[in-house]
Amino acid sequence: MAKNGEPDYDQVGDEGECKVKIICLGDSAVGKSKLVERFLMDGYKPQQLSTYALTLFNYKTEVNKQKVLVDFWDTAGQERFNNMHPSYYHQAHACILVFDTTRKVTYKNLPLWLKELREYRPEIPCLCCANKIDVDYNVTKKSFGFAKKQRMPFYFVSASDGTNVVKMFNDAIRAAVAYKNDSTDFMDEIMRELENFELETDSGSQTLDDKKDNVSESGLESSKNKDNDDDDSDVKS
Amino acid sequence: MDEIEIQKCGVKFDPPGIVVVYNEKCSNKQRRRTMPLRDFTKNTNVEKATQDLLSHPRHGKYVSLITKAQLVRLVTIVRDKLNGMSLEASLARNDALDKIDPEENLNTVDEETLKRKKAVMDKTFEKHQVKPDDPDFKYDVEVEFDENNVIESGWDSEEGSDMEF
Repeated sequence: MAKNGEPDYDQVGDEGECKVKIICLGDSAVGKSKLVERFLMDGYKPQQLSTYALTLFNYKTEVNKQKVLVDFWDTAGQERFNNMHPSYYHQAHACILVFDTTRKVTYKNLPLWLKELREYRPEIPCLCCANKIDVDYNVTKKSFGFAKKQRMPFYFVSASDGTNVVKMFNDAIRAAVAYKNDSTDFMDEIMRELENFELETDSGSQTLDDKKDNVSESGLESSKNKDNDDDDSDVKS
Repeated sequence: MDEIEIQKCGVKFDPPGIVVVYNEKCSNKQRRRTMPLRDFTKNTNVEKATQDLLSHPRHGKYVSLITKAQLVRLVTIVRDKLNGMSLEASLARNDALDKIDPEENLNTVDEETLKRKKAVMDKTFEKHQVKPDDPDFKYDVEVEFDENNVIESGWDSEEGSDMEF
């Protein structure tokens, strides 16, 4: 534990585990807490950080035979009035950006969330998910350009019936660990999976290289300028 | 709670209370139960008053058969009345609180509004929820959606969107 009772993700766990922090961002009532709860199921008691009214959930897993301790941070309603405390972003290794497919305004606000994230964490992998698809599955026949434009992996999910929740969180964990280990292979892999699918039917009109030129915000494409990334991001510049 | 079935619910203003009309299955009789809201004033926290009712040793089993959203709505109507609001105005206000507007930014609404909207959304959530004790529950549900035969959502195209920042 570091100052203010917050965990320090630079330290390894008691058994040498890799510790990562994953945050969820998005408007009020898009289902961020419910997604985390669906992934963890019952039996996980969140830990309250009283200092900043944050909630975090601990989860143990393994990635490539490496033991990993994951902390999922939940906003505990702080997103209201767009007033996230900087400690929410501090040392985060991956971010899940959530919108609600039944409420357009939550999609329109994604760029604002991403912008704020990038002020604090310019390089961490970020995944995007469209939640509440159970309300009307027809929404999965529609395209949402934001994730592709920002070169983020995109998931149609439902915290209610569970669709793709586990897959998304496992991808996020692997991305967080890969980021911490200073490797971008995994995110490249996810993006390749998505793109191959497209290229097969897209008559090759787009190539990976074409796309790379207009990438800047997703943080998925490279690890350049990553020096001291863990230290530089507490203060808004 | 298979032995009773709620048929109607409503409010009572003086003294403040919640009323349910229910069918008692074993006797097939219609009964009516009035549950007073104790120490209820115009400043009472609606959420707390609702919780108190739900955890009440005798009334709890009746009110828990009403959806939480509806119970909150009823308690709010009683409180609005104590605040001098007409029934018509209160109903209109509560209708607005129970309606989800896809354009409404819930980041900036007051606490009461946010809670009400969440309660409405929770109803849908619970309706579709697949729980661990459901026979077709699976922890990891992976579904691939065909990304090729899609139409534009129309959510990207509008002017004034802040996609370039």
